[in-house]
Amino acid sequence: MKKLNIVLALVLGGLVSLSAQAVDQRPWHKEVIGKDCKTCHDNGIKQFPSDQACLQCHDVDDLVKQTARSEEDKWQNPHNNLHYGKDLPCQECHGEHKAKKPLCSNCHTFKFDKHKE
Amino acid sequence: MSNIDLLGRRNFIKGLGAAAGVAMASPAMAVSEKADGVKWDKEVEVLIIGSGFAGLAAAIEATRKGAKDVHIFEKMAYFGGNSAINGGLFAAPGTPMQKKEGVQDSVDRMVADQLKSGRGIADEALLRHVASHAVEALQLTMDAGAEFHPYLQQLGGHSVARTYQTSVSCGAGITQPLYKECKRIGVNTHNRSKFEGFLVGDKGEVVGVKMRQNYHFGEDQPGKVLNIRAKRGVIMATGGFAQNVDLRMAQDPTLTSEVGCTNAPGATGEGMYEMFRLGAIPVHLAHIQSGPWASPDEGGFGYVSNYSIYNFPHSMAVNRLTGKRFMNEIADRKTRADAELACRDEKGNALPPILITSYKDSKKHPNTKKVIKYNVGWKFDTIEELAKHFDVPLKPLKAQIEEYNSYVKSGEDKQFGKNMTKAKDKFIEAPFTVVRLWPKVHYCQGGVQVNTKAEVKDSFTGKPIPGLYAAGEVCGGIHGVSRLGSCSIPECMVMGMTAARSVMKA
Ligand SMILES: Cc1cc2nc3c(=O)[nH]c(=O)nc-3n(C[C@H](O)[C@H](O)[C@H](O)COP(=O)(O)OP(=O)(O)OC[C@H]3O[C@@H](n4cnc5c(N)ncnc54)[C@H](O)[C@@H]3O)c2cc1C
Repeated sequence: MKKLNIVLALVLGGLVSLSAQAVDQRPWHKEVIGKDCKTCHDNGIKQFPSDQACLQCHDVDDLVKQTARSEEDKWQNPHNNLHYGKDLPCQECHGEHKAKKPLCSNCHTFKFDKHKE
Repeated sequence: MSNIDLLGRRNFIKGLGAAAGVAMASPAMAVSEKADGVKWDKEVEVLIIGSGFAGLAAAIEATRKGAKDVHIFEKMAYFGGNSAINGGLFAAPGTPMQKKEGVQDSVDRMVADQLKSGRGIADEALLRHVASHAVEALQLTMDAGAEFHPYLQQLGGHSVARTYQTSVSCGAGITQPLYKECKRIGVNTHNRSKFEGFLVGDKGEVVGVKMRQNYHFGEDQPGKVLNIRAKRGVIMATGGFAQNVDLRMAQDPTLTSEVGCTNAPGATGEGMYEMFRLGAIPVHLAHIQSGPWASPDEGGFGYVSNYSIYNFPHSMAVNRLTGKRFMNEIADRKTRADAELACRDEKGNALPPILITSYKDSKKHPNTKKVIKYNVGWKFDTIEELAKHFDVPLKPLKAQIEEYNSYVKSGEDKQFGKNMTKAKDKFIEAPFTVVRLWPKVHYCQGGVQVNTKAEVKDSFTGKPIPGLYAAGEVCGGIHGVSRLGSCSIPECMVMGMTAARSVMKA
């Protein structure tokens, strides 16, 4: 999978402590968010984004539709699954700056072809 | 309250560390301390920690008993703990389905079965309390919208069929309705909130807790700690510690990280250990149970576990080295897990045994299709194919099947004394379905001691610690050496409800 390594150091004027860090970002997010870390980091730059952060742009019900499975496997929909319904925070399976496996893989051998680690 | 100065001792240890130049790798965890002069960040009426069966049942019952401001705090990002991934098997004596199916059962009979598998050290008073209220707890789940398969199951160690199972064959068939019910009746739920210690009043009573906010499990990101006052009391429903390899190995050194685990990642036990620090009595910590129905071909509980729990009564478990049976397929868990662990090749390496079932019988369970589809189980048209795939000696295997089928016919298992009632007319015939078996760490019988009011007892005074209640797997001693399958849901639900009733009376 392609990921861009972009150095945010120069643009993060005031945040001296972060200045030497390179941060991974999804290419498609780069186009929308650019270099404004605060777009997602609503709890402060050094904190994880809140569970609502991704939902500024993404709609849970749309995601549910996109990942729907056949009637027999309907509860294997990661965005509306048997164990947690639609309430599973995005960050449990998706990481902007680091690779993550879907939570389901703790116990199941399902394949989610479109999931990008 | 204990008269040992734990805080002093801790500071001493910290001092040693500093002197030796040891760096603290993880963020310092807050611990219990006196509430004198603390600044309260928040005040709630009933404070519940943990969002599994016990916590959710407690929240609903407290609200029904008149509480206006109930809060559940959960350290993980998602709610439900082990309960949300559980098998959805719920035992209760004297249920409507038992009446319909003509099963003779009673509180006494269920308690007797549990005492037997507890091997003499189970807590009879608690077992009786739970069994007496189990039907009520089952009703609470139905009132909230839980649905169950229209048949009963007889699990290992139970003398009759008394187990309901949710129609989705998973505990989520209960936690999801309970969680929605909590939302509907106005219970406040907080995820990413980690309990880190108690705040204790002058008389040793629990008056509040320290709660880390915006906590991200397994990440190096500390969040902020709030002091929260609990007006009526604190209910600890934090579950077991099966995922904490250090703690489980401290109790049973054979449970290394190489032994799998069926539990949710949050089952790490710090809530229980913090209660010990406060003076709670530890019971039966070394009794940690492994599930004999798990598969080495998938993680956690997966699909195979429920598949095999359903199929064991009419299946044959076979040692691949000999082609012969090696256990009573419906003995209690410890008996079977020990027998499976003894299945090894000539060099002593693990050789997971196989469970052979006739496809015609296995396919009645909804998981069978999935087990085959996700490659964690296999279907064979002939015994030759099966034997080749698992490298089992064919002749002895054929002989064993013939012998076993004679027991199906006569109703008497001369090899292992298995109760053949549920195997009636279910001969082992092609086509077959097969899964591999290997135990996984599953349930912690040990925990803090509670009484039938869900009050936590203090080891020094012998009296309940005021303001502190506990329910569910975090409690110990109830089941003794080995817990029977499907007996945790009733325990968690009943004790959660009991804790709520006690809090509202206190
Ligand atoms: C895969 C599996 C299948 C099972 N199947 C069955 C079955 O079919 N029938 C049956 O009777 N039993 C079954 N069991 C056992 C049963 O599910 C558990 O014993 C039960 O769910 C425990 O419920 P609980 O409410 O005590 O704890 P849990 O449901 O584990 O909930 C505890 C919660 O507390 C949270 N927590 C822990 N520490 C903290 C902290 N410091 N701060 C805040 N939150 C914290 C945890 O994250 C967790 O969400 C199964 C267990 C597993 C793992």
